[in-house]
Amino acid sequence: MAGEGAPTWEEVARSHGRFLYTVAYRLTGNREDAEDLVQEVLLRVRRGLQTYQPGSMEGWLSRIATNAFLDEIRRRKRRPEDLLPDDPDWVLPPTAGADEALAAEVLPDDVHAALQRLPEDFRAAVVLCDVVGQSYQEISASLQIPVGTVRSRIHRGRAMLREVLTAA
Amino acid sequence: MNAHPGDLLSGMLDGELTPGEVAGVRAHLEACPDCQRELDRISETRTLVRDLPAVDPPFGFYERMVRPRYRWARAGVAALAGAAAVSVGVMAFAAPREPHVTPHVAQLVDAHTASASTSGDPISEMTPAAAPVSFKR
Repeated sequence: MAGEGAPTWEEVARSHGRFLYTVAYRLTGNREDAEDLVQEVLLRVRRGLQTYQPGSMEGWLSRIATNAFLDEIRRRKRRPEDLLPDDPDWVLPPTAGADEALAAEVLPDDVHAALQRLPEDFRAAVVLCDVVGQSYQEISASLQIPVGTVRSRIHRGRAMLREVLTAA
Repeated sequence: MNAHPGDLLSGMLDGELTPGEVAGVRAHLEACPDCQRELDRISETRTLVRDLPAVDPPFGFYERMVRPRYRWARAGVAALAGAAAVSVGVMAFAAPREPHVTPHVAQLVDAHTASASTSGDPISEMTPAAAPVSFKR
């Protein structure tokens, strides 16, 4: 039985649908997978609403969405062209991007496409920080990783984005 | 000069450092133009992501959400759908409230597999597998 004052999952879908869809779209990169991810999130929301403590609904939804996304990634076969987080191609040399300015017009579509080039663990950390606006402590709780790892994934994720956006 | 701050730069941009850590980073930056440049680049990239707009769901989204098709995470269940008892169990769980006949789970997955495609999706088609391309218009 849902707690007193807890919304129904349909109410969650209506009032937070745009937020959920945005997060899902930035995580998955395409509209079809974004819808599937939102559906999966709402499934988990239906199961979990009894235990929901009033607080940050968007924070709670973000945590569910990111974990559902990473669960699905782990379930799928990893494509050969995906670069793993410790792939040497992603180790930045000391002067990586030195004095490279971004193009005068970097469009949101460019940034979105660059996000999709990140390994998923890094993409999740950057999305939770810069799209959702969670603190490192919240991201640490969402992803069940230490705060130091949160910080390094965000930093490396941003550096990778920079590399993709400045590549000619 | 103390050690290069590395990811402390992002920590500082995100307001996550202690005052002592911030002081240490600032002292380093005064003496290290490379790290100052890195800070500027990371800050610029951070702003680009933060400025991404919210995305409006497509037409019919809410209706589809409250009438789920269970397409995605249930693909693994389809492998078991040969067992009638399993598929009945899944169908009972997935049954929508409206009293209409729902197709067999395996048919749903086959239909999805046959039609699943990201063709026509501009973002998916823009993402290369190998060399990055320019997205400039």
